[in-house]
Amino acid sequence: MTDDLALVEKFLRTRGEDAFDALYDAHTPALYALAMRLTGGDQSEAEDLVQESWVRAVRALSTFRAQSQLRSWLCGLLVNVRRVRIRTDWRMVDAPDMDPVAETRGPDEALDLERAIGTLPEGARDVFVLHDVYGYTHREIAEMLGIVEGTSKSQLTRARSLLRSSLP
Amino acid sequence: MTDLPRERQPDPALKKRVVSALVAAGLVRRRRVWPVWMVAAAAVVVLAIGVSVVRPRHTLAPGKTYVLLLYQDSTYRMPPKGHGAERVAEIVRWADSLHANGKLERGGHLVGPGPIGGMFLIRAQSDSDAARIAATCPFTRYGGRQEVKRFEE
Repeated sequence: MTDDLALVEKFLRTRGEDAFDALYDAHTPALYALAMRLTGGDQSEAEDLVQESWVRAVRALSTFRAQSQLRSWLCGLLVNVRRVRIRTDWRMVDAPDMDPVAETRGPDEALDLERAIGTLPEGARDVFVLHDVYGYTHREIAEMLGIVEGTSKSQLTRARSLLRSSLP
Repeated sequence: MTDLPRERQPDPALKKRVVSALVAAGLVRRRRVWPVWMVAAAAVVVLAIGVSVVRPRHTLAPGKTYVLLLYQDSTYRMPPKGHGAERVAEIVRWADSLHANGKLERGGHLVGPGPIGGMFLIRAQSDSDAARIAATCPFTRYGGRQEVKRFEE
């Protein structure tokens, strides 16, 4: 039995705060890093995303199957929470049109990249982050995002192209 | 691209927020935190009982049985850090002396919600005698509230 599965089973058995703490500590840093990238570094929005993702995850935890990795399952859930929020929040719909890359370039290359990722259109950003940063396959991404693999591939190509043109 | 960090520590306050949301939604049970004073007071009572159990039995003094209830609430002053054993020893000596005189039947730790954390069954000649015995309990010296009731079967 994997550690994750043991943690899940312990939580489902007790529903206690201690058991949840262990799950939270094991996976929140990854969820938060993903949330920060998907929100373009908006800490408040990223925290909201993590919170909502955990609430949904705990509701659905009994449906988690050991065949998949808990972290992948949680990340997919967070990505979908994010997409639902975009559809229901007009302020976020406007976000892809912003192009602050030129102003936000800094001396640090990784920081430049983080900022550039934050300015990508939502669809391209999601695929880029999941594929190039987290290493998910197009098939996994297609399942997470409810798109076909071809769309995932074309979004990745688009994201890489936009990044190449925006980075020094 | 894959060199970018995949983990990032959020603000520690986020965990409290998440747990509160889960508790409010009825999805997680809040961790039960026993107040320090309750744990220590319970230890005192349990130790006192433990000592009384292993002592040789004495004949009970004539009189009636009274229940002495110990209220482990906020008025009870905890011993300073590192002096818990002295407080325990004090209670044990008190229980020992009562038992030696046939004035202690038994004691117990009361588990469950509410402020009553322990009780002793004591033997006394009258209500006022029972009150006098109860007043000698070191528990009162530290602000612990007590109640004495005559026990009738």
